[in-house]
Amino acid sequence: MRRLLVLATAAMLVAVACGGANTSPSPDTSAAPPASVDPGASIDPGASATASGFDPTAISGTAQLSGWRSSPEEGEALTQALLGFPTEYPNIAVDYKPIAGDYRAVMITKIASGEVPDLFYVNAEYAGDWIEEGFLAPLDDYIAASGFDTSQFFDGYASTFKGKDGKTYGFPKDGNTIGMAYNTALVSTPPTTMDELLAQATALKGTEGIDTPICLNPGLDRGLAFLYAQGGSIVSEDGATEQISTPESAAAVQFYMDLFKDGLGKTAGDMGSGWCGEALGKGQVAFAFEGGWLDPFMTSTFPDTKYAWAQIPTGSSGSPVTISYTVSYSIGADSVNKDQAFVLLTYLAGPTGMEKWTAGGVALPSRKDVPIPAGKDVLAASSEFARPGSGFMTGYVDVQKAFQDTFIAQIQAGTFDGAAVVAATKTAVDAALSQ
Amino acid sequence: MAAQSASGGRAPRVDRSEALAGYALIAIPMLLFLVLNIGSIFYALFISAWDWNIRSGPEEFKGLDNFTALLVDPIFHRAISNSLYYAVVWVPLTMVIGLSLAVIVNQKIRGQTFFRAAFYFPAIASSAAITILWIFIVAPDGLFNAVRDAMGLNPIFEFFGFDPRHNWIGNQETALNSIIILNAWTTSGTFMLFYLASLQSIPGQVYEAAAIDGAGPWSTFRHITFPLLRPGHFFVATVAVIGALQLFDQAAIAGGISGDPNNSLMTMVLYLYNAAFLQFDFGYAAAVGIVLFVIIFGATLIQHRLFGQAPSW
Repeated sequence: MRRLLVLATAAMLVAVACGGANTSPSPDTSAAPPASVDPGASIDPGASATASGFDPTAISGTAQLSGWRSSPEEGEALTQALLGFPTEYPNIAVDYKPIAGDYRAVMITKIASGEVPDLFYVNAEYAGDWIEEGFLAPLDDYIAASGFDTSQFFDGYASTFKGKDGKTYGFPKDGNTIGMAYNTALVSTPPTTMDELLAQATALKGTEGIDTPICLNPGLDRGLAFLYAQGGSIVSEDGATEQISTPESAAAVQFYMDLFKDGLGKTAGDMGSGWCGEALGKGQVAFAFEGGWLDPFMTSTFPDTKYAWAQIPTGSSGSPVTISYTVSYSIGADSVNKDQAFVLLTYLAGPTGMEKWTAGGVALPSRKDVPIPAGKDVLAASSEFARPGSGFMTGYVDVQKAFQDTFIAQIQAGTFDGAAVVAATKTAVDAALSQ
Repeated sequence: MAAQSASGGRAPRVDRSEALAGYALIAIPMLLFLVLNIGSIFYALFISAWDWNIRSGPEEFKGLDNFTALLVDPIFHRAISNSLYYAVVWVPLTMVIGLSLAVIVNQKIRGQTFFRAAFYFPAIASSAAITILWIFIVAPDGLFNAVRDAMGLNPIFEFFGFDPRHNWIGNQETALNSIIILNAWTTSGTFMLFYLASLQSIPGQVYEAAAIDGAGPWSTFRHITFPLLRPGHFFVATVAVIGALQLFDQAAIAGGISGDPNNSLMTMVLYLYNAAFLQFDFGYAAAVGIVLFVIIFGATLIQHRLFGQAPSW
């Protein structure tokens, strides 16, 4: 009897253990396509596109779409964009599963386990790295077979998603340039040059409850625009030579540092806000440097704060400049439904889908043949001279971290020494270029 | 059980089948433990010897290169010093608070159960939610600065160099200490429970004898309660150090994945996470994991040597 009991318990434990041991260690995409994928096998995406042509209406199945959702407005805008898809391609079902939390970390675990969504966002910041590591599928065969028009993409955005082998690994789904948002109740005429900005900020300081008139980020995510405006740079145009230690760059870094030193600029955190958009909305500052994502945020969270857009003031370089950010839609090297994903890609990155998406006001179109959404004229006009704010060199994450860490150390220690920031950034740039 | 000694022949068979029953029952959990816990340590050791592409596996054999790179990495040094500082400050602080709370709720006072639940609640609440709440509390325009302003305590803080709108978590000097205070508050409930269990195992006769000898409450605590709590101290200290060296979620939420500001919130586990998911360098991250394992194992061994076995009274 006891032996029977022992055997029964052991059998039960085996059943439980086997059921439990099957959970995969990576965060599971519960609707992952049932076909098993062997990550070790070399996958040729061109094989599934027919040699005689690519007929999107003949393809059926599911395409799993993924990405982040930075705000409810963004989710709403994408849902609107996706509504038009079944009308054109009724045979393909879209399974939209946004990833909450740390998108990059979750995607890394998905890539490591070989269960990637079919179509997903890739930020320009790490697009170069992901392309080099072989995470993304090249799209050239699909483009050739389907005849998708890629000529209308702004080159500044599209070039970020081309690999070193010259192949295309994604299409920019939108773009965003950094502009200067100013509180119209406090500023009547926006400054057009950096000197005017300094003058207006100095005049505003201390008045109408403004402690520091400008909200600034202590990193290159905004500082790069100021660097470019003053004629400085991180690396040369071809990305081969380090240029952060040139006299213009050093002077530009010190100029940015002096904004903090003179009490004209402060980080959002030091003002008790999560980011500069919040600081602007709360009325803590008169100027904030942000992108198009500010608009839906301000409309929904701070509707009473009236603001307007202006281009970033021209600096000593004399020419208008700003930085742009972009994100691509890409297909994973291990994605199962590549054909279906490409059809969805042509829709979302094509003129119809992109128009619906950018109408939500979260980002600007990355195609010339898509009309500019209302209220975005200033930001869209900046696309002409915008330089990439990320993804223009490998290892940029380390360069950014070195710059930001030293910059924060300097402003919190009260020494405000731009030379220290330049030195730390130069070390990081040299290390990145030598790899 | 008494029957087994009566007939000599039957005794070994009963023992063997009992032993077999025992082995059968622990077989599956032991297998899982060996494969998932012990096996994954060896797997991490294997990964740390390679340049590991997360999609295609091992790419280039690096031997000890990942470890040598780790040894000269200034950010990793900062991560270690942050973790050690955190352990050295947070463990005694939380033990003191936990012990005090345990002594308080061990007394027969009205609402004893309520207080036990209330003190323990932060330990079971979501650490992410509490951390975000804490960030609001210690923000420049947050509750803490407002209260000290209203109470007129600002001159004292000014003396120590903190201006009225100091950003406690955003400032590189005070960020780690803010997290220490946060965790001391939330984890003190757990330690209170451990100490409570040990406190209640102290026989009442000892206290009665002390009372007869005329010992006051502080003497009783110092000479009777505190020494008799040695099993509790040992257990709490070991668990606390292991937990302290693995600090991650509060640091990641308050400072982001890169340990802002300026690496002041970079801990060893956060650095591992950074290496794995920001740099997707699994080999390097595995090396960090192995070093972390060695440090924690070493710390536990040192505690074991210094303080001896946990005495069982």
